[in-house]
Amino acid sequence: MGGTATLIAVFYGVVVLISIGVVVAVAASTISRGPMDAVKAAHRERNWLFIVIALLVVLLFGTIFFIPYGKTAGRNAQVVHVTAFQFGWLLSQKTVRENVPVEFVLHSQDVSHDFGVYNAKGVYQFQVGIVPDYTQKVVHTFKTPGRYDILCLEYCGLDHDSMQASLEVVP
Amino acid sequence: MRDTARRLTLQYVVASTIILLAAGVMGVIMRDSQANVGRLGTNTWYALMTAHGLGAFLGWAGFAVMGFAFWILQEVGFELRRFGLLMARLTWWLMVVGVGGILVSTIVMHFAGSWVFLYPIPFHSAGQWGKWATAIFLSSVLLAGLSIVTWCLSIVDTVIGPGLHAVSTNIFNRLGVAMGFGYLWPKRFATNPEQVPYVVIPLTVIAIDMVIATLPLAVLLVEMIIETFAPSVHVSALLAKNVLWWFGHPVVYLLLFPAVAIYYYIVPKLANRKLVAGNVIAIAWVIAVIANVLVFAHHIYLDYPAGTAQATINTAMQPITFALTIPSALSLYSLFFTIYRSDWKWTGASTALFLGLVSWLTAGLSGVVNATIAFDVVVHNTLWVVGHFHHMALLNIGFAIFGAIYYFAPELTGKALYSDAMAKWHIWLTFVFGLISFGLWMVQGLEGAPRRYAVLPHRYLSLSQAAVPFVIALALTQLLFVYNIVQTMRGAEKKPRAVATAEAMFLLAAIAAAIGVGVIGFFLGRDTAPKKSGGTAASTVTTPAATSTGATTTSATDATKALFVQSCGTCHTLKAAGTSGAVGPNLDDLKPSAARVAKQVTNGGKIMPSFKGTLTPAQITAISAYVSSNAGK
Repeated sequence: MGGTATLIAVFYGVVVLISIGVVVAVAASTISRGPMDAVKAAHRERNWLFIVIALLVVLLFGTIFFIPYGKTAGRNAQVVHVTAFQFGWLLSQKTVRENVPVEFVLHSQDVSHDFGVYNAKGVYQFQVGIVPDYTQKVVHTFKTPGRYDILCLEYCGLDHDSMQASLEVVP
Repeated sequence: MRDTARRLTLQYVVASTIILLAAGVMGVIMRDSQANVGRLGTNTWYALMTAHGLGAFLGWAGFAVMGFAFWILQEVGFELRRFGLLMARLTWWLMVVGVGGILVSTIVMHFAGSWVFLYPIPFHSAGQWGKWATAIFLSSVLLAGLSIVTWCLSIVDTVIGPGLHAVSTNIFNRLGVAMGFGYLWPKRFATNPEQVPYVVIPLTVIAIDMVIATLPLAVLLVEMIIETFAPSVHVSALLAKNVLWWFGHPVVYLLLFPAVAIYYYIVPKLANRKLVAGNVIAIAWVIAVIANVLVFAHHIYLDYPAGTAQATINTAMQPITFALTIPSALSLYSLFFTIYRSDWKWTGASTALFLGLVSWLTAGLSGVVNATIAFDVVVHNTLWVVGHFHHMALLNIGFAIFGAIYYFAPELTGKALYSDAMAKWHIWLTFVFGLISFGLWMVQGLEGAPRRYAVLPHRYLSLSQAAVPFVIALALTQLLFVYNIVQTMRGAEKKPRAVATAEAMFLLAAIAAAIGVGVIGFFLGRDTAPKKSGGTAASTVTTPAATSTGATTTSATDATKALFVQSCGTCHTLKAAGTSGAVGPNLDDLKPSAARVAKQVTNGGKIMPSFKGTLTPAQITAISAYVSSNAGK
C-alpha cells in the first residue's frame, strides 16, 4: 500500500469508528428511552449545517493543493512518447533515469485507455487517462531505480486486463 | 385511485426484484471467476459486467425506487392524474423492454463495451461483437433512458397536482412549492393550509434534474446508433465522456433521492413522531437541485488533456461535490434525531431502514474520499470505487427498498407479512456478508487492484478467493427474502415467531451446507485438476521478461528460436527469427509483453488456435520470453 493509500485507510477508518459510535448511541437510545425535545433538535439542525460546512472547508483546503494538474517538467526533463492501442503500449524509450523528471506524452490510437504505473512489487505509483484524439501529458519523477509495470486502468475491450508493458528506471 | 397506485407500485417492485435476482447471479459468477472458481471466457466476463451494471443499476434499484415514489406520493395525498398515470405505465414498458434488450445484446450477442459504453469503444469490438449487437445495445439503453424521462414527467405532473395545496396556479411557482421553497420564502411560495410534505421535495428535485441530465445522453446515443452504420459520423471523445457523466452522476441520485423519500416517509411513522427537521433542510434541497447537475466531472478527475479546460472544470467540481454532501448530512441528522429516544420497534422493516441509514453514512464517507482529487489519484479506477458503490447501492438504497417492501407488503398485497423474524435474519445477514464482500474490494483497491479486470494480477488472488464464501452467502441469503415474499403473496398463514425462526434456521443451515460443499469441492478440484495454464504461465514468465527488458536476451537458445519458427513463424513476422508470416499481427510492431504472449499462445485468439495441447507450459514460457525480448529488435 502506498503512502496516500495508507492515509486514506487511516482517515476512513477513523471516521467510520466515529460513525459507529454515533449510530450505536442512537440505537441504544430507543431501548432506554429518555426525554427528547424534538423542536430544539430541529432548531439545532442549523448548527449541524455550520459544522458540516466547516469540516468540508477544512478538507477542501487541506487537499486542493495536492491536485495533479499543471505540473511542468522543466528543461532537463526526459520525454517519453507513449502510444496506447488495443491491446498494448508503444514507448519511445524503455529506460529512464531516476531523480530526473519524466514527461510522458500520451496518445491513443483507438479508444480511451489509462496509463497506470506500478513498481516491481506491485505498489501503485500514479495514473492518467488517455482520450483518443487528445494529447495527455503527465510528469513523474522516479525516486527508486528498478522495473516499473504499466497497466491499462480504463476498460478498453477484450484484452484490457493483459495490456501491459514495462519501464526500467536506472540510476 | 389508491388501488391504481397500489397495482402500479406492485408491478414495478415485482419486475425490479426479478432483475435483482438475475443481476445478483451474474455478480456472483463474475466475482467467482476472478477468484479462479469457474473461470469465464474474457468476452463472457465483460458482457456479464455490462449486463450486471446496467441491470442492477437501472433495472433493479432505479426501477424499484421509481415504483415506491408513486405509492409514497399517493399516501401523502398526491394522486396520479391521467397524464401522470399514462407516463408511469409507459415508463414500466420502456424499462422492461430496455433491460430486455440490454440482456439480449450482451449475453446472447456478446456486446461487452461495459455498462458505461465509453465512446468510441462500441465501435472497436476487437472482433467480439457485430454492428447489430451495438445497435440493439445502444437502442436499449436509449429506451431505458427515455423511461427515466417519462418517469420524471409523471412525477412532475403529480407533484404540481391538487395535493400540493399551493395558492398559485403558475406551474413554475407550483414546482418551487414542491421543491420546498415555501419553507424559505413562505409568502412567494404560499400554501394553504399546510407546507408541502418533506417526502415530495427529493422526488421533485430528482425529476427536474433527470430531465436535464438525460436529454444530452439521449442525443449522444442517437449519434452513436447512427455512427454504428455510418462510421464517418464522429464526435469528440472528450465531449462524449463529459456527456456520459453529465448523465452518469445524477443517475446515481435517481436511486438516492427517491430512497430519501422512502426514509422521510417511513422512519417518522416507525418512530411515531414527525420528521425532526428545521427549515434549513429546504436549503439542502436547493443546493441539491443545482449541484447535482454540476458535479459530473468528478468521475473524470484523471482526464485532463493538454490544451483543454478539463483540468479547470475538474478542480471546480471538488468544492461543488463537497456541497452536494450537505443534503445527505442534514437528512441523516434529521432521520437519526427522529429515531433518537423514540418508540422505535426493531422489526424487519425498521432494521432495514436503520442499517440503511448506517450504510448511507459510512458509504457516503468513502464517497468523500473519491470526491477529493488528492485521494482520487490513488483510488481512481480501482476496486475501492467498486466497493464504495456496492456498499451504497445494496446496503443503503437496497435497504431502503427492502425496508419499504417489508413495511408496505401488507398494504400492497393485502396480506400480512409472512414472517418478520425471517425478514430480520435476511437484513442482518445481508448487512454482515455485504460489508465483508464490499470491504474486501475496498482493501484490494487501496492495494491498487484495478476494476473491470476479468483476470486480476496474481497478487490480488488471495483476497479475491477469501471473498468467495461471503459473496455466495450474500447471494443465498436473498433466498430468505424471496421465500418470505412468495409466502406473503400466496397468503400463507402468518407464522408464530418460533416457527418462523426455526424455518429461517433450516434455510440457513441448508445455505451453509451448500457453501461448505462448494468450498470443499473447490479445494479438492483445485488440488487435483491440471494447473490452469493461463494464470500460471503468465506469472512464471514475469521473471524472464523482467530481466530481459531493455537488452537483447542472450538466454534464448537456438532451440526456442527454432520452435518459434516452426510453431509461429508461418503466421507472424519477427525479424529476429527471420520469419515473415502475415496472417497474424507483426510482432515487431506489436511488441507484446511476455505475459500477453503466454496468454495468447495458451488460449488462442480471434483466429489464432490455442497451443495449450501442442506446446508444454515450459515451451510456452520460453517462447513468451523469447518473443517479448526480441520483438522490434
